[in-house]
Amino acid sequence: MSMTRSSVEEMEHDRCAATVVLPPVAPSSVSRPGDTGQGHGRRRWATPSALVAIAALALYLRVWQLDALGFNSDEAVYAGQAASLAGNPNYTPFFPVFRAHPMLFQTLLSPFFRTGEVDVAGRVVVAVLGVATVLAVHLLGARLYGRRVGLVAALLVAVMPYHVIVTRQVLLDGPMVLFATLTLYCLVRFVQGQQVLWYVAAGGMLGLTMLTKETSIVLAGGVYAFLALTPTVRRPVRLSLLAVAAMAAVFATHPVSQAMAGRTQTGKSYLVWQLFRRPNHSMGFYLETVPPAMGLLVVAAAAGGLWWLRRHRSWRETLLLSWIAAPVLFFQLWPVKGFQYLLPAVAPVAVLAARALTGMPVPERLRRLLRRVDRVGVGPSRAVRTVRTAVLVVVALSLLVPSWHAVNRADNATFLAGSGGVPGGREAGRWLARNTPQGSVVLTLGPSMANIIQYYGHRRSYGLSVSPNPLRRNPSYEPLPNPDWWLRHNDLHYVVWDSFSAGRSAFFSERLMVLIRRYHGRVVHTEFVNGTDSTGARVPVPVIIIYEVRP
Amino acid sequence: MTDLHSARRRHVGRLLGRALLIAGLLVLANPPATAHAAGAGAAPSPTTPIDHFVFLMQENHTFDNYFGTRPGVDGIPPGTCMPVSRGRAEPCVKPFHLGELGSLDLDHTAEAFRVQYNNGRMDGFVEGVSTQGKDGKLAMAYYDDRDLPYYWNIADEYVLFDRFFSSSNSGSIRNHMFRVTGGPGAAGPSESIPAAGWGDIPTIFDRLEAAGISWKFYVENYDPTITFRSRTSAEDVDRGAQVIWVPLLGYARYVDDPRLFSKIVDLDQYYDDAAKGQLPAVSFIAPAGDSEHPPGSIRAGQNLVRTLVTQLMRSPDWDSSAFLWSYDDWGGWYDHVPPPQVDAYGYGFRVPALLVSPYARRGHVDSTTLDFTSVLKFIEVNWRLKPLAERDRKAKTFLDAFDFDRPPRPAVLLGTERTPPVVTRPDPVPVFASYAVTGSLVATLVGVAALRRRRWS
Repeated sequence: MSMTRSSVEEMEHDRCAATVVLPPVAPSSVSRPGDTGQGHGRRRWATPSALVAIAALALYLRVWQLDALGFNSDEAVYAGQAASLAGNPNYTPFFPVFRAHPMLFQTLLSPFFRTGEVDVAGRVVVAVLGVATVLAVHLLGARLYGRRVGLVAALLVAVMPYHVIVTRQVLLDGPMVLFATLTLYCLVRFVQGQQVLWYVAAGGMLGLTMLTKETSIVLAGGVYAFLALTPTVRRPVRLSLLAVAAMAAVFATHPVSQAMAGRTQTGKSYLVWQLFRRPNHSMGFYLETVPPAMGLLVVAAAAGGLWWLRRHRSWRETLLLSWIAAPVLFFQLWPVKGFQYLLPAVAPVAVLAARALTGMPVPERLRRLLRRVDRVGVGPSRAVRTVRTAVLVVVALSLLVPSWHAVNRADNATFLAGSGGVPGGREAGRWLARNTPQGSVVLTLGPSMANIIQYYGHRRSYGLSVSPNPLRRNPSYEPLPNPDWWLRHNDLHYVVWDSFSAGRSAFFSERLMVLIRRYHGRVVHTEFVNGTDSTGARVPVPVIIIYEVRP
Repeated sequence: MTDLHSARRRHVGRLLGRALLIAGLLVLANPPATAHAAGAGAAPSPTTPIDHFVFLMQENHTFDNYFGTRPGVDGIPPGTCMPVSRGRAEPCVKPFHLGELGSLDLDHTAEAFRVQYNNGRMDGFVEGVSTQGKDGKLAMAYYDDRDLPYYWNIADEYVLFDRFFSSSNSGSIRNHMFRVTGGPGAAGPSESIPAAGWGDIPTIFDRLEAAGISWKFYVENYDPTITFRSRTSAEDVDRGAQVIWVPLLGYARYVDDPRLFSKIVDLDQYYDDAAKGQLPAVSFIAPAGDSEHPPGSIRAGQNLVRTLVTQLMRSPDWDSSAFLWSYDDWGGWYDHVPPPQVDAYGYGFRVPALLVSPYARRGHVDSTTLDFTSVLKFIEVNWRLKPLAERDRKAKTFLDAFDFDRPPRPAVLLGTERTPPVVTRPDPVPVFASYAVTGSLVATLVGVAALRRRRWS
């Protein structure tokens, strides 16, 4: 097999081969005729240099103004778990070590959370893992379609708003996608080399992915679908069982570590609640939020590429589409929807889009036009490269601009869970920590703000909207069965209203205001963001209001 | 030159005259503000870091009734058994936990005191109640931290006094008068508010007023129409106790002077003043239905005290405040310490008293012999005021309960749980170890796979 074969040629080869066996696509080491030593050296360093530049860009986007907003609810919970695991006394009373998810990521974070209030360090860890994902996407793309596709795919992920936004937060999804991408990579290595160890490694890596977030087990469905749809890949049952055993053994770390640490409760009730809870978003939620976050041009390119490169279709596209379809189908049907849940699809979408952009057909008319414009004369291949580069630049910019806008948007009166920090939440919590006596108890509108207050304010907080019915609430949340009684008996001292929770539940917002009025609520602090009034003038919009209450 | 010089002097003189005239007119136009400014300027600074002192008087319990079973205090002696009849050891009633059994308003008149005290033999507590036709055994009941968790928590964190006596060996009226005047009010056996009021008996508020020191009397559910003039002779009419518990409403000069009368305000004002950092130097508080007066709910009283203390702790004034509350008389309940008889009126039996302040010693039990006039003494010492009467002149104060050498303690809101929930942190070692081992194994697996190229056959 030639090492200088193009990616399209490789695909054609795969398609025709009875058994898929492909060595890695390595950078060409064969000197071209007419190469000078200097030119050869430049090409040798071109890919690493480009990769470093992409990684630097990815890191820049992920750490720029990382501290502009405080944690959102989920971040507060994971960081609180990490801090409790580390024995940080500020958090152990408020955040139990074990909640619903496995603890791989929190364990990784915990050394950074040993003392004091930490938030940026946690986010930096995620940002670094996000950059590692960019590099992993390069490996994946290069392994599947060659180094150019790898670089373009890495660039797309580096600047993709969806990945940028999620990997700026202390969420499980960012690290999970790194391991998911590595799982995909191991699987590709297995398919290409038919080595047992890569098959087992893929199982082990999927186990690690599940140890980050157990919902990633749906990716196993993607693997199954791929293997079922690709009979050309050999997969003896005993080896498949071995890979599954590796996955199970790795994931067993979660229950085993819990049992060894002396945890008495399990996550069973959490699963039951997730299974039967009411939908939190409409069926069109992912369609409305995820494609714009991935980049409409990227999605269009990925889909278009499947069409215009259909003659080169191979097991690779089956694998990538299976990997995309598994979480998309599952979470579309699953009642609970979260903005970041489809993040595992980022890597295959980016690779497919990169494949499409690097193999995009250029109409002959456009080539002729380019040749006429350039009087010196543009060769056919150069014209194609020019068009493809221009399109790539447009696509990359179409991602970079919204990403840049997203990382600079610290002032926002609306909030979508998982899409970033909560404006004013950290400041409100810190205000409570500074200005209220230790032992103060806070009533918030919902559990999300309660988590934030507990993280930054170190004050016990309860969400009014948490149902006392165990079948209707997240088992991790503690309900307040009778807040009126608590207020009357001076067991609640502050009430926090926030516009984000109020936007989700007008009923509980009104109920909270009734309690505030009944118990002599007095505004003691307000957090504002910049908004606009009906005339378009910029006005401060209150997003969080803290009331002092008494019987 | 001389003419020019004289002209300038005349001009300056005219300007000075006009300025003085304008200043005089301004003073005339706004006398209260000017007076307030003058008063504020003249107010002496306190001798301690306590700029705000709050004194709440609850009702009708003894020290042993509330804290008799508390370790580390002068509580109910072991083996106590109170004779049903004085002078006869048997039958007797042992102290018992009242809990939710319910209480009665036990007799707590001067006559009841005489029987219960029995010339210092302290063996008439059951008889003193039963002679009034009530179940005398009830006098031996006590509460503990199951019923009063907040008070016991306060005692853990701040100061509990175990030799704090009610000032008078009779009921509410004299004790409340001792609270504000250092004396019993009306002399002789009569224990009622005179029809013409308390006359010119000086009060601590007169002293404060004269010294330009701010003060307020906060009254729960305050009804300004109830004064010594409107109150009927039957003292137990609805809310008639307001005039007893707020002795200033028994003074014509306080009722008739709008400025003084305006300083007697509803308790709601306390919350506002505290929240805004506008508490006066001296605040007296009188309860209403939350007074803990049997058979009223002690939990309701505890909730009132907790709310008041919580508000003070949330106040900008916290760092320079002290909050003391006590109980106006023993209410007929048993207490084992014979009260010193310093004059014809008292002391009465011990009553609970607690002090909350950022300077209060933590978990301190103060055994200084004190009474309500000790509070007057503290105010007089702190703001350099003259004593009101012989009692407060001789009284000891509770300065030792403070530790002014240390910076003020940050406020901590205490709950009603005696045993706070224990936070159990799981052993982190297995978690770290198992995840580290697993991660290493997967990394090794991938590494080996990358290095080995053998395919299966």
